[in-house]
Amino acid sequence: MILTPKIVARIAALGFAGVLLQLSFFSQVELLHVSPDLLPALVVCLGLLGGSLTGAVSGFSIGLFVDCLLVESLGISSLVLMGTGYLAGLFRERADFHGSLVPALLCMGLTLLAELGYAAIQLLLGVDAPVSTLIVRDMLLKSAYAFFLGWPTYLVVRRVLRPALVDVPRVQRQRQPTVLGA
Amino acid sequence: MYRKQVRRRRAVLALLIVGSFVLLSLTYGQGSRGFQRSVSTIFSPVQSVADRALKPARDLVDWFDKTFDARGENDRLKSQLVKAREQAVAGEEALQENEQLRKLLDLNRSPALVYTAYEPVTGRVIARSPTVWRSTVTIDVGSGDGVEVDDPVISGDGLIGRIASAGPGSSQVMLLTDHASAISAKVVPVGVQGVIKPEIGNPEDLILDFIDSTKEVHGGQTVVTAGWRAQGLASHFPPGLPLGEVTKASIVEQEANEQVDVRPFADLRNLDLVQVLTGGSRR
Repeated sequence: MILTPKIVARIAALGFAGVLLQLSFFSQVELLHVSPDLLPALVVCLGLLGGSLTGAVSGFSIGLFVDCLLVESLGISSLVLMGTGYLAGLFRERADFHGSLVPALLCMGLTLLAELGYAAIQLLLGVDAPVSTLIVRDMLLKSAYAFFLGWPTYLVVRRVLRPALVDVPRVQRQRQPTVLGA
Repeated sequence: MYRKQVRRRRAVLALLIVGSFVLLSLTYGQGSRGFQRSVSTIFSPVQSVADRALKPARDLVDWFDKTFDARGENDRLKSQLVKAREQAVAGEEALQENEQLRKLLDLNRSPALVYTAYEPVTGRVIARSPTVWRSTVTIDVGSGDGVEVDDPVISGDGLIGRIASAGPGSSQVMLLTDHASAISAKVVPVGVQGVIKPEIGNPEDLILDFIDSTKEVHGGQTVVTAGWRAQGLASHFPPGLPLGEVTKASIVEQEANEQVDVRPFADLRNLDLVQVLTGGSRR
């Protein structure tokens, strides 16, 4: 990815819109008693298209912004989303898998990993209440929702960052050949 | 060239990890979060607009979710209706009894009157934490409206939590289901007291802990805030605010763990309009 100030602004706008959409919409709706989480999917798509560094920095910034808006302890979401973005970028740089299902599957897997990471950090920091086994259902459903959110998110992110992507061929209109004498 | 890139990438990653840990160490468990409050205040109007704009879409998703739940809910409501009819009859008797008791008691010294010292401020939920580990919502009223930290927050069904932090135009509410929430409560009419704590990951279940195992609690009994007051100290919550009803109360659990399960009256997953009871700390 070629990072110019314009592209950085586009990534920031994507992050801002994603956070607003998460806090005002996805966190407040429930399907089967679980709210979808868009942010890991968004960070995965940024990492997948921009590489590990872009993924890590975007994840860190988006996490920091969420924690600021919710007035919560800074650093937890940043750490989790930074790791998620970095792993997605590493996948792009190291693995040689291409296919239409890759972004959705990666969103699903890394959302589950992000949920596990968040749980591990919370448990390490200390939790003052008993933890229900329903938390496992919450994690699994969130990663399942990420599968469905992953594909549209990937398309939107790719469309917004298209000018910076070096490996996406520019779609050119081909002129129909003129048949002489027609 | 490639090695330089790798080195730079590793350096940035290390910087971000260290940054996260530094932020975590500086802000974890701290009461004062000036920076976050400032950011939250700046963006709360945008969040408010986004919340209103996205409400129709949210309602549509809710409609689908509720349709799934409707079948199971129907059976439960039918049994609740039978119970409610019985309670309505009992309530009529209780009202008459209450009238007589009011004449006997000096209401000025009754804790029920303390409740009237609170001034309710109505707010709308504009954002919600995306993780079950932190059960908080952001509302569009803040210190400019008289809201202070630790003020109780209620919905139409009962207590939902307390103010965790307050900015000029928005506040964060720590819900009953947040892991740091603990509220002194009592079971009525038996008067068994305990502490209401959440079970993380299960918003439909609270735990009434540290109860006196010599008294027996039964399913269906109501749990309200205890609202204690002793030696100049007082609970942030007024007494008698409905919290939930006892669902599971096995004798074994009561005796072994000194706890019972409670279902909150308020639907903590679908909050829209809430009321902050302000003025409690200044009374």
